[in-house]
Amino acid sequence: MKKILLILLILLGNISRTDAQMRPGQVDIFAGVDFNYRDIYFNGRLFDLLVYLTPGIKWNMGHRWEASAQVFIPIINQYGDSQSGKVRLNMLSLSKQLSAGNRFRFKFSGGLFGSYRYGLDVKTMFIAREWLALVGEIGLTGYCSLADGWDASTMDRLTWLAGTRFWLKRWNTQFDITGGRFIYTDYGIKADGWRHFKHVSVGAWVGYSNKLKKNGGFKVLVMLPPYKRTRRKVNFRPASNFGISYQVEAGSYYMREYDTEPEQNERSGWFDPDMLPWGPDTMAPDFISREKKKSNTEPVDSMSVSGKEVTR
Amino acid sequence: MSIRILRHILVMAAFVMLPLLASAQQYTGMSGLIHVPSADMDSAGDARIGAHYLDHAMLPDGSFMLDGEEYNTFDFYISLTPFWWVEIGYTMTLFKQIDNGHKGYNRKDRYFSVKFNPLREGYWWPAVAIGSNDFISSSFKVSNDDLEGNAYFRNYYVAATKHFKGAWGRVGVTASYRHFIRKGAKKWNGVVGGVTYSPPFAQNLRCIVEWTGNEANVGIDCLLWRHIFMQGSLMRGKYPSAGLCYKVNLF
Repeated sequence: MKKILLILLILLGNISRTDAQMRPGQVDIFAGVDFNYRDIYFNGRLFDLLVYLTPGIKWNMGHRWEASAQVFIPIINQYGDSQSGKVRLNMLSLSKQLSAGNRFRFKFSGGLFGSYRYGLDVKTMFIAREWLALVGEIGLTGYCSLADGWDASTMDRLTWLAGTRFWLKRWNTQFDITGGRFIYTDYGIKADGWRHFKHVSVGAWVGYSNKLKKNGGFKVLVMLPPYKRTRRKVNFRPASNFGISYQVEAGSYYMREYDTEPEQNERSGWFDPDMLPWGPDTMAPDFISREKKKSNTEPVDSMSVSGKEVTR
Repeated sequence: MSIRILRHILVMAAFVMLPLLASAQQYTGMSGLIHVPSADMDSAGDARIGAHYLDHAMLPDGSFMLDGEEYNTFDFYISLTPFWWVEIGYTMTLFKQIDNGHKGYNRKDRYFSVKFNPLREGYWWPAVAIGSNDFISSSFKVSNDDLEGNAYFRNYYVAATKHFKGAWGRVGVTASYRHFIRKGAKKWNGVVGGVTYSPPFAQNLRCIVEWTGNEANVGIDCLLWRHIFMQGSLMRGKYPSAGLCYKVNLF
């Protein structure tokens, strides 16, 4: 772990940076819905629902440092287990992004992540071509739940992913092939295909894990309005996206990954899109921001395409 | 008997003559006629989410039964045309069961549909599509050419559709060949087809007659306010089915 921290510090000190999308010092307070369903026979219901309200906060600390937190507040809990029904802190993380040269992107995160994991995580992308990138992620995490007191394990679970991404610009279509070690120590390989539309992305995937064997599914991701926003020092807004997914082998503990920030999604990717933009970053932005200028005269709003700040 | 009915339908349609802007084999969420698939495709980027009431006449024999009787049911679906040449759909059909002591629509059958359009319609030639409903199944077994287990709606088809347009409106003619695997659905195997008519004053409206291989169905569908698509039909001319979906282009 010391080595990881050391590498992290070295990289932070040496690699060039560009301005963040969210203006430095700005805070976003947002809320969305986390919608889960499962399909269990013999309980007299079509679906079991688990719905959370997910208020969160992001603070752009400047120089691509970002702090974020998110709370899960259960609204509907038909899953029955006590953990799901509790108000809990879902995420509390600090991240730093940077680029190296004009081909490498990095994101370092630490804190409490999604899927009840805490620890450290590094993501990277190597841009080989306009249509090809190599990606990797490595994490050292442990279990942590704040739903019912504080329950945690030591931070000794190593997970990693490596793979390639293909971007077909003409069709706004992305194919990913990744393999690695997942949260519950299974090894697997996964192929995703994403078709990106205006404000909506639809993806399908198939996977094979040494424990689960075959699995597959699809996901629909909707970027939520309003798409034109006025930015202030503190911004209140809906969550940037809402996603719903389906998988054939539901409820399994295999091929699971964690998110390192509250609004992470497949459309926006891992990195700020203005930092060596690649693939979906090059599409028209989902959100257009008006910067409200400090002035005692009438506010002059300058249109700027900075929608990526929150979501892309 | 049935060939005679089909002939009557086609003759009637020839007299009625007239196009379409939206189409649906709507109980599956895909484009098509009523029960019969066609080579019509949604536009690239079109997505649908909706639900359909299904009379037992639309369902495979012997599959949707409770206490020895066939029942009517509902389904709901989403579908998408990610590219002009492919359409995909996901449908859930409700089962009425006694589950946990409670009788009701509390279980469901899930299936995927896919349709490819290798040849788009031209001035002289029809559009051609190949496709399948319910082509993936978690449990099935083929014995003596019959399917056991799931895959209630599994079928494979090839379809050709040509439209004719004039001052009198627009007519679409579809001929398909399809093959169901499940025993109770084999009555729909073979050559099937139908005719649609859209009057010039209501291009979003379609009047449909179709031959399923076993029976003739009539129906009507309409796209309202650009996004609401409705279809109503009478299976065998007397058993009603109807559905409603929200249709949107994602581009």
